[in-house]
Amino acid sequence: MLSNERLLKLYRDMVMIRRFEEVIETYAANGTVPGFVHLSIGQEACQAGVVDCLKKTDYKFPDHRGHGAIALCGTDPKLVMAEIFGKATGVNHGRGGSMHVNDLDCGNMGFNGIQGSTMVTCLGTAFNAVYNHTDAVTAVFMGDGTLGEGTCHESMNMSATWKLPIIYCLVNNQYAISTKYTEAHPQQRLKTWGEGYEVPSFYVDGNDIEAVVEAVESAVERARKGEGPTLLEFDTYRWQGHFAGDPAAYRPDEEVQAWKDRDPVKLCRKTMLDRGIAEGDIVKIEEEEEAHVQEMLKFSLESPFPGIETATTYTYADREVETR
Amino acid sequence: MSRGKKLSYGMAINEALHQIMEQDERVFVLGEDVAKMGGDFGITKGIWAKWPERIKDTALSESAILGLSCGAAVCGLKPVPEIMFADFLGVGFDQITNNAAKLNYMYQGKAHCGITVRAPQGGGIRCAYHHSACVESWFMNTPGLVIVCPTTPYEAKGMLISAIKSDNPVLFLEHKALYNVKGEVPEEMYEIPLYEAEIEREGSDVTIVATQIMLEKAHKAAAQLEKDGVSCEIIDLRTVFPYDKDAIQKSVAKTGRLVIAQEGVKCGGWAAEISAMINEDVFEYLRGPVKRVTGLDSPMPFSPGLEDYVMPQQDDLVKAIREVMEY
Repeated sequence: MLSNERLLKLYRDMVMIRRFEEVIETYAANGTVPGFVHLSIGQEACQAGVVDCLKKTDYKFPDHRGHGAIALCGTDPKLVMAEIFGKATGVNHGRGGSMHVNDLDCGNMGFNGIQGSTMVTCLGTAFNAVYNHTDAVTAVFMGDGTLGEGTCHESMNMSATWKLPIIYCLVNNQYAISTKYTEAHPQQRLKTWGEGYEVPSFYVDGNDIEAVVEAVESAVERARKGEGPTLLEFDTYRWQGHFAGDPAAYRPDEEVQAWKDRDPVKLCRKTMLDRGIAEGDIVKIEEEEEAHVQEMLKFSLESPFPGIETATTYTYADREVETR
Repeated sequence: MSRGKKLSYGMAINEALHQIMEQDERVFVLGEDVAKMGGDFGITKGIWAKWPERIKDTALSESAILGLSCGAAVCGLKPVPEIMFADFLGVGFDQITNNAAKLNYMYQGKAHCGITVRAPQGGGIRCAYHHSACVESWFMNTPGLVIVCPTTPYEAKGMLISAIKSDNPVLFLEHKALYNVKGEVPEEMYEIPLYEAEIEREGSDVTIVATQIMLEKAHKAAAQLEKDGVSCEIIDLRTVFPYDKDAIQKSVAKTGRLVIAQEGVKCGGWAAEISAMINEDVFEYLRGPVKRVTGLDSPMPFSPGLEDYVMPQQDDLVKAIREVMEY
């Protein structure tokens, strides 16, 4: 059981990233956010829970549906939002956008837009920790869809053999775009993939923040002790379509409703009330985070777009590419 | 530099690895059969005995080998993965093109992907179409990547040192038909700069740009044509991408003619890129068409006569040079 103080902190995180995503959804729908975005509404408990168990010096690889985790890694979240808006003030100066927000100063290694790629890149950060004898662990987010990629299997095989400090955070949100995970994999529980590689693997209620934190804490402990990787299958659901604007007609309404009834944010709120935490304290958090997100939005909207002068800078470490 | 000793191309690479690993603890090697066995071609031998923690035999997992290298490089290590045959890079293609080549941009220079991927390429060893490809052109459509094709033992050692010291991802494509070719190599560690071509032979009538085994053929063709009064200038490209535009343009300004000798298949190759660049940028220098002498647009056959036919030969070069000399 988590302390009241920790629950309140995690609740604050979840409220913030819920509102963050709702704002992004609105501004994606009206065309202000360029490109496409993948919203993580409904998956707040696994995002907040994983990040909360890690240190700044640990390596975090978010997935493509990773705004929530990214906004909690330690970067000022308004810089994350501005990046998603493609602004010069964004943490990556508008170079990466929704799918590539990264901030090495807090161990956010960023996502790679190719499913499964971070599954092998994460071997390198974990290898570095072993090579340099640090206690850093690597947490990599993946989806049920990611498991179809061969890189997942190369990664688990290698990390288990070499006992690399990795936590595979398998966010099973039931669908890879439109394909239900049971239509793409033979298993009812995807964690059994990990067991095949002798990676200790656990099923976790991904909408229960306490269950998530407890599972991640024990995986982190194993990794820091040099006992190797762990796979955690977080059973959860994305409320919206695959991308903002996808009507997700491939899902039955009753299924969506059943998962919304198990809203991870509301579940956490209820747990806190049941434990006697004053509702006033909870409402205060909700109001503060609403103001916080509005401030991020104002900053993002008012920030300028980047100038074109440096559009190709950093292609190489030691030379510029030709311009027109 | 000290007086050179004779070393094979393969052992020059081996010496470079030993010397840079002695100097820089961040350098490590991983790949299939690289540690205890010393690599399929023996290029990494002796490292495991000295530094067992810094050379790792892996599963047959090219994506994992390359992906691990990318992640470790971002943390500041200097990985030197070996891919047993360059053809196998296809299995790890995404890690080179979408990951390694883009990480410097992704992190805005706050971290680099300074990996050096060693892989032997090329034909002439009678191994057919999955162990003989020249792969430069698969990858040169990828900004952020550096592609190096060393030819002599001297180049192989000096350019490997430069590649490993570079903060860019370098595809270091060794030619397996050159592994046993010997040449003078300084004993100490030295660097040969990336991105710079080398003029190996000066001439006034026609410029030949070549790499690896095509260079020897170019020299033989030049010697043959000299008897007919044709003076060939030969450029060893060394870094295929980004290539040394200035060196080629300066040479063509002098000769007015260009023949590009590329071992790999013709369609979409680096020879086409150089040809297009010359036509676009310095058309006024040209006295005749740019010619490419390349492999045929075919998979590499196994049987010796067939392989020799598909690969570009000295006679093909001589013919092309004679053709451009008619202008």
